[in-house]
Amino acid sequence: MAPHPSPFLDPGTCAANDTLGIIQLRRDHLIPAVLSSTTDSDYAEGKVENTRFGSFPHSTLINQPWGTQILASAVDTGSRGQKGKKRKREKDDEGDATPGQDAEESRRDLAKAVTASSGFAHLIPPTPETWTLSLPHRTQVVYTPDYSYILQRLRVRPGDHIIEAGAGSGSFTHAAVRSVFNGYSREQAAQPPQQIEDGDEARIGITMKTRKRLGHVYSFEFHKPRAEQLKAELEEHGLGALVTVTNRDVYHDGFCVPAGEDGKLAPDADVIFLDLPSPWLALKKLTRSLPSQAVLKAVSSSDPSTPSADTSATTPQLPAADEPFRSPLNPKGAIRICTFSPCIEQVTKTVSAMRSLGWLEIDMVEIMAKRLEVRRERIGLQEEGLRGANPSPASVHEAVQRLRDVEGRAHVFHSLQKEKQEVIMRRAEAKKRGEKVAPLKEELGDGKQKVNFEALPPSKHDRLERAKKDLEKREIFKEGRLVHRTESEIKTHTSYLVFAVLPREWSKEEEEKARKKWS
Amino acid sequence: MHSFVRPNTHIALRLPSGILKVIEVKPNTSINLGKYGTFPACLLFGRPYYLTFEVLDKDDGRSSTELRVVPASELHAEALGEEHVASESRDEPGEGGGAEFDIVGEDGAVIMRSNRLTIDDPSRQKLSMEEIEELKKAGTGSGKDIIAKIMASHQAIDEKTSFSLAKYTLRKARKYLKRFTVLPLDVGTLTEYVTEKEAYKVLEVREESLGLISSWANVHHGGASRYLTAQDEISQIGGGRWLVVDDTGGLIVAAMAEKMGILYPTEEGDEESEEEDAVTESFAEAQLGRSISRDREGSKEVSLNGTAGETTATRDIDTAMPDASSEPTNGTPTTSTPAPNPATPSTTSNGPSKSRKHHQHTSQMTARTNTLTVLHPNSQPNLAFLKYFSFDSGAPAPSHPLYHHLRSLSWLSLISPHEDPAYDEPELLSEEALAGLKSSKRGNYYKKRRRWEKTSMVVDETGRGGFDGLVVASTMEPASVLKHLVPLVRGGGRVVVYSNSVEPLVELCDFYSKERRTAWVARQYETELRKPNGKVKKEMKEDDEDKEEKVNGELDGDDDADFPVNPTLLLAPSLQTARARHWQVLPGRTHPLMTSRGGAEGYLFTGTRVLPVEGKVEARGTFRGKKRKTVTEDAVQT
Repeated sequence: MAPHPSPFLDPGTCAANDTLGIIQLRRDHLIPAVLSSTTDSDYAEGKVENTRFGSFPHSTLINQPWGTQILASAVDTGSRGQKGKKRKREKDDEGDATPGQDAEESRRDLAKAVTASSGFAHLIPPTPETWTLSLPHRTQVVYTPDYSYILQRLRVRPGDHIIEAGAGSGSFTHAAVRSVFNGYSREQAAQPPQQIEDGDEARIGITMKTRKRLGHVYSFEFHKPRAEQLKAELEEHGLGALVTVTNRDVYHDGFCVPAGEDGKLAPDADVIFLDLPSPWLALKKLTRSLPSQAVLKAVSSSDPSTPSADTSATTPQLPAADEPFRSPLNPKGAIRICTFSPCIEQVTKTVSAMRSLGWLEIDMVEIMAKRLEVRRERIGLQEEGLRGANPSPASVHEAVQRLRDVEGRAHVFHSLQKEKQEVIMRRAEAKKRGEKVAPLKEELGDGKQKVNFEALPPSKHDRLERAKKDLEKREIFKEGRLVHRTESEIKTHTSYLVFAVLPREWSKEEEEKARKKWS
Repeated sequence: MHSFVRPNTHIALRLPSGILKVIEVKPNTSINLGKYGTFPACLLFGRPYYLTFEVLDKDDGRSSTELRVVPASELHAEALGEEHVASESRDEPGEGGGAEFDIVGEDGAVIMRSNRLTIDDPSRQKLSMEEIEELKKAGTGSGKDIIAKIMASHQAIDEKTSFSLAKYTLRKARKYLKRFTVLPLDVGTLTEYVTEKEAYKVLEVREESLGLISSWANVHHGGASRYLTAQDEISQIGGGRWLVVDDTGGLIVAAMAEKMGILYPTEEGDEESEEEDAVTESFAEAQLGRSISRDREGSKEVSLNGTAGETTATRDIDTAMPDASSEPTNGTPTTSTPAPNPATPSTTSNGPSKSRKHHQHTSQMTARTNTLTVLHPNSQPNLAFLKYFSFDSGAPAPSHPLYHHLRSLSWLSLISPHEDPAYDEPELLSEEALAGLKSSKRGNYYKKRRRWEKTSMVVDETGRGGFDGLVVASTMEPASVLKHLVPLVRGGGRVVVYSNSVEPLVELCDFYSKERRTAWVARQYETELRKPNGKVKKEMKEDDEDKEEKVNGELDGDDDADFPVNPTLLLAPSLQTARARHWQVLPGRTHPLMTSRGGAEGYLFTGTRVLPVEGKVEARGTFRGKKRKTVTEDAVQT
């Protein structure tokens, strides 16, 4: 594989073949797609993304500059289903007997996509933020307000090594890679590393020095299918060389992994992020030296409620006895940690475990993030019958005017009624007297009445008509009052974040050395 | 990075009162912490960060002042001790519930009291002010004795509930303990320090806002990114370059530089070496990254347009550096040469200085990838806070990564470069003419040439656009900034505007609203119909980041009021805010902190730069209600 830079880190000018692109339809409606020019598809246009805003064949996306507005294409989505099924059945029936036919099929040229009359989307490069909004959910996702604060507070910088346990859906993984990335090693660029299986630690000891410490993410996931899917995703995103995904139960087996290509001890972590149900169990594996039995007891006794804690507290000690202790932490610097737990009980246990294990600067925070929606609020009688506005009076003046109008109309109407009544009465009386009566029409249809109607305030029907007509001339985009409010759905609680720092170990000898050197 | 305290760097000390004190630690000086004591700075050198020290001075019977490392167990002793108590009392669920009972342990000893009998009276403290002052002067045992004596002479100490006792002890500890914690002065600590003292100077930016800014602007190390030419053969695309408008005195720049790995001068002894004082790495790591990017196939690398004289020298550095730093021997602990004097950081990078010997001057702002370009309203940028990271923007040290990676230009140079005298090329003298000049004049000549080269390169490259992102934290009208800078962002690039109050951003959101976009497109369409070869073509060109158009062909005046920005250039403009709420976590007493800093919340406007299609675009989609309607430009909701 060529040293393809990841589209997350360096997307290049255009969306290239076989890289991840994001099709943005609405603000929160994004579709991730690995763009492919293969003809191996049921559609005449090759691979197609079908959305309710139109169909987008990959051929219309590939080699487009990032950020381009893409017009939807007219794709025949109807006939493809049957044809596809039929072809699949044929293949199943004949097995491998028709490779020639397949090849022939894939050699056929892609039909040129025809632009549809409506519909569009934007093609944007992937970032951890867009990926977080569009990724396939496997577990609860760590969202941008949380991970951005975490990475900021943990001072994650290019070149750092970060341990992430409980990789989950991988949103934090992508953000972490971006933060620690400071270049690909030559070996990494040359060949993607294989999935590291637990237990083959024999490769340690190849000492080859590189000048720059390269940032790396060590990701641990307990759930095997999830770990494998994450691994595949990262490969697909060109980040495989920067992340080591390990399928492991870190409560029992800790965080040490076999050395990387550079032959240095791994993970050699500077930063730790734990998104686990029981972070205090993992904390025992994140020490500089083998913790004493008393400390371990203190840590596990802080958790009498979880039965698994007792078993895990005793079992891992046995293998630790025959294996030399190896710390997963970078011995040269202070280690920053963050644990991510939704419940306050988890926090209490985590914090007390941290105190027992010598972590300092312990701080617990909760992030409250919200998005605001901005709109123009149009209120007034001129909005009657229009969408997206409030047709009630905008001011007392308008209200009074409207009331006057209504009263005025009522008055005219009533006096009209009265007149009518009187006419009828008169006619009736005249009839009674035996006089000849002129037809009713003449009397009502005279000009005086009409003039009266025109002077009248407009009827509701008239008002609606006028509002509609006025709308065409109005510049709605700058009318009304500009307001903002919290969006209708907010996340009121995601998780509690516990931050702490484990300073570098400082012995008497080192103190003595420093004293001699600097004074 | 930040593995131990080095001389001549800034560090932060957290005092027992919780106050941060930022100092530059210089050799042969002493650090005065006021009532918490005084000690020589050299006692901190070489020591790791995050340790808490206790000042032991002559009062404690020492011949000279010493620092004692307070172990974590001692720092946590109180919390851990209480935990023990708390876990015991947890076994008796009936007690300590809602009612205010004294909690009595199994052996009958009172563990927890209610505050029913508490008497609020200062006279219960038997020690008078004068006596306490006496004790302080006598100063025995780093404050612990004083606290013990104060506690002992409090008449009603055993009437206190354990909670109030803990609070009382903490209060006294804050006042009398002669302790301090050494913290590295990184962006997080600096933000805390500045917001406590003079938040207005940094537009009240909080750490949560800094995190959001860096994430949404997609700021990351771009040293390995390719610097490419766009399809129009003029514009530049990518290369890990960000555009910044920073009215926070450089705090935003620092936060971004930290994420890009160019904030901290590379310190010797950080990485590979066993010996603390061995030299490992040169400052020019980005050059290495660049050489890698050059190797990449398919990337159209633009070579630096060498103009004259010094630029050729610059190119020499650029090509020589990666070679020097890619030598396998360089940087291994066994062969590395010890620095002559670790106390002076400017002389530590001896690898590059060797290759620099034959030309004395290293040109500034030469890095082409992984750069920050700062636009400033005055003739010089205000980046005062960068001094805490050993970068003085007035007289930068060439060894600092920001020397090469931080570029700055004024608004005048961007909008109308020809009015900026620094952009005018000074007369080019021939070799003979130069040889005839006095040495001072010759020096002046070179200085002018260099200044011009720097300015013209930065201005020209900025004008070619294609930045990966734009970050604005300014007191200026956001729309006026975005009008000029959004076209310089690459397609798919991120635009982030920070403001301490929400109103300017609400207004900005409105300028990019769906309705305004629709109106803009309709207006464009109309004008296009009216004169097919006229104005529209011109404006469309502006979208294509054509520099000439940008400078000369501004939008017509009548559009300006209704459309201060081109609303079609940003996709999904959104407004958000985040706030961290801090908690106290103690056994049985976990709750959010009772007080915290108010003031500005900090708001963030984000959007993605897009390249709109020319002409009329019909949107498609289902809308609320039963009617299926086709509305122009409606599909992408704001």
